[in-house]
Amino acid sequence: MTASLKLLIDSDLAAVATLARAVRSACAGMFPVSALDEIEIAVVEAINNVITHGYGGRRGRDVELQLYLRPEEAVIEIIDHALPMQPGLITGIAEDPFQFNLADRASWPEGGRGLALIRLNMDHVAYCSRSGENRLRLTKKRRRA
Amino acid sequence: MMLNDEERLGVLVVHVAMPRIDAMWASAFKEEIATRIEKGHHRLVLDLSDVDFVDSSGLGALVACLKRVGPLGTIAIVGTKGVVSKLFALTKMDRVFPLYDTVDAAIEHMSA
Repeated sequence: MTASLKLLIDSDLAAVATLARAVRSACAGMFPVSALDEIEIAVVEAINNVITHGYGGRRGRDVELQLYLRPEEAVIEIIDHALPMQPGLITGIAEDPFQFNLADRASWPEGGRGLALIRLNMDHVAYCSRSGENRLRLTKKRRRA
Repeated sequence: MMLNDEERLGVLVVHVAMPRIDAMWASAFKEEIATRIEKGHHRLVLDLSDVDFVDSSGLGALVACLKRVGPLGTIAIVGTKGVVSKLFALTKMDRVFPLYDTVDAAIEHMSA
């Protein structure tokens, strides 16, 4: 059986925490805390990207989240009507995206971790853009004990 | 912005009394810490015991602050838990920031 939830927020960074907490709460019966942490990280980073990069930080635009809870997995779709991401950006993550030179302080990254955090915290990530609508699909599998 | 300062043995302890350092707050947080650094504090302890979540923007703000104190300064992080700990480990920022369980432990190490 699938349970589903649909949430809509304004493209306002102040609303991201509320959305993330709602997703976490909805998934709480299905996943251990560690997996809930991973889901929350991915969802927050994804929505931040939509608002900050897709909508350029402008408020007044829609960000929709659809959550599907199936016995074997949770699927989260984030839907927006912003400028689409470049193809391959979400899947083209380096093997070790958080590698940096510890000895070179100036090179320590201050940004650019969002997509890698999405990719590494979910089991499957897919993105498509069609007719002005962008859909980012995040899947988290339940682990059998 | 809920930051409470306490100076101990030449170290500025900043108790971060806000639940999330995220994209909403990262820029303001960075400026708040930068102000303290500009006032001459180069040894800081950031107490994140009350922080439930940090995203990549918040982490970026922390890194920016660490760069700002320079190689002779230090920013220690105290009280990371749950998803905050996970983020530091996943991004390897636990190699950059000294992490401690308590403020006392951080100050003891920084004063040695």
